[in-house]
Amino acid sequence: MEHDGLLTKKNKRNVRENITAYAFLSPWIIGFILFSGVPIIASFVLSLTKWDLISAPRFIGLGNFIAMFSAGSDFWNVLKVTLVFTVFSIIATLTWSFFLAMLLNFKLKGIGIFRFFFFVPAVMPSIALAFAFQLLYNKEIGVINYILYLFGINNGPNWLMDSHLVIPSIIFVCLYTYTTGQMMLIFDAGLKEVPKELYEACAIDGASYFQKFYYVTLSYISPVILFNLVIATINAFNGSFSIIYPLTFGGPGDASRVISLAIYDSGFKTFRMGYASALATVAFIMVVAIALLQFKLSDKFVYYEN
Amino acid sequence: MKLKLKITNYLQYILLIVVAIIMIFPILWIASSSLKSLIGISTYPPQLIPKEIHFENYVEAFSRGNIFVYLKNTLILIIGCTTGTLISSSIVAYPLARMNFAGKKIMFALILATMMVPATATIIPQYIMFSKFRWLNSFLPIIVPAFFAFPYNVFLFRQFYRTIPISIDEAALIDGCNRWDIFIKMIVPLSRPTFITIGVLSSVFWWNELFIPLIYIDSDRLKPLTVGALTTFKNLFIQRWDLQMAMCMVMILPPMILYLFTQKYLAEGIKTTGMKG
Repeated sequence: MEHDGLLTKKNKRNVRENITAYAFLSPWIIGFILFSGVPIIASFVLSLTKWDLISAPRFIGLGNFIAMFSAGSDFWNVLKVTLVFTVFSIIATLTWSFFLAMLLNFKLKGIGIFRFFFFVPAVMPSIALAFAFQLLYNKEIGVINYILYLFGINNGPNWLMDSHLVIPSIIFVCLYTYTTGQMMLIFDAGLKEVPKELYEACAIDGASYFQKFYYVTLSYISPVILFNLVIATINAFNGSFSIIYPLTFGGPGDASRVISLAIYDSGFKTFRMGYASALATVAFIMVVAIALLQFKLSDKFVYYEN
Repeated sequence: MKLKLKITNYLQYILLIVVAIIMIFPILWIASSSLKSLIGISTYPPQLIPKEIHFENYVEAFSRGNIFVYLKNTLILIIGCTTGTLISSSIVAYPLARMNFAGKKIMFALILATMMVPATATIIPQYIMFSKFRWLNSFLPIIVPAFFAFPYNVFLFRQFYRTIPISIDEAALIDGCNRWDIFIKMIVPLSRPTFITIGVLSSVFWWNELFIPLIYIDSDRLKPLTVGALTTFKNLFIQRWDLQMAMCMVMILPPMILYLFTQKYLAEGIKTTGMKG
């Protein structure tokens, strides 16, 4: 009997602890339902309708998706631009931030000053960065073409107005964004945690610089690489808007129209809410698919200490 | 051996300096162009040091543009959103870091998962919802969600709380304190640096944010600086580089100064994102 009494007392305490915990969590739970959960489901439902926000929404089944994937649809271009931009901007920002972090791990006096300079562009609004690069990339008065001229290339291209150069040009600007700075600091912290004994052991075994880099540095910080890969991926979908929109508005033509710009245009310029939701659904599925793929790959390549 | 080391050091410094120049070049160029006349900007070859200084660009930018109004709106957004997320996220993170309860793992996984949902994926239904609330063209659709905790900030608070010894809570519970008292009287005061870190991160974020206010705010008198800047000093025919660069300087200086003085907190906050566990 006494044993039972103890149990219920313990149970009661557990129940109270659970209620307290969920009371603390309640702001987020309400926010999650209102601002994430319901919108994601609503987005799926809306993608099956035709709606201009004025007349009542009309159910059209998979009509939006059929239109989207039909042969003449401009969606194919959006898909191509999004994939090219996503893949190459991830590679570029990840590599550059890793390179910066490697530099910050030189054993030198005053390295803190360089950390400040390397990160400072990250705190700028991307719109200011976009305006600065519009000037730097300018065909006639831009510094970048002037530098090319100094190297003997006389007629520098019109970077942001050339449909072949616009994506590489935008990706270069991405090296200055917050995400890149953030990844640099995370790499920097990760590199500092690599045990020195590992390098010493390697040196005794007569490993070359590149062997050390590959077998010790890269494998030890592989969880950090995966983490940054996920950050870079999310940002390629999320943060790309605030850099591409002020820089090119998706132009020239449709050459830099990634999916976030397409969603914005069809949702808030032409008010095709159903079609915009269908695009959003595709974007959502793409992020989830890429993230899952990365975690799958990580089982193969990522080394965990335990 | 020593000589070789010295040469390596010099080469490393040179590499660092070259990369540092590449990284701050856009900032230097904004600063220099903001002091040139429009003709000075168009002069070929381009000059980093302006021949003549045109401080009046700033006067003209402030008097011709709506910069003061935009600045005021940006500040309202920063204060509203930062206050909101500091209060709500610090509360939500507490049980995730310091209590055991049924469903803890699922809740934490959900928070991590929502960090990955791109804003563009949920913006359409959110927009429709806020239009039903009649909240469009106001700060409400931007500030109110901040009071319901942002997953990223919850995650940061949780990571920091876990570094505080759990024995503090246990001892207080034995003394008869309830969880809320422990949170308010012990965890919050101990987490002052965390509040500063997340406050700084949030301020920089809302100073820079373009997408969300662009969606919800139409009228010029409510636009924050980022949205207002999109259409200021340029139209289809002419781009007033001189005034635009002066405006850019106004946009980049405050976050740079804030970063200069809170570098430690900011770096700490970002590094924590990558912490294991």
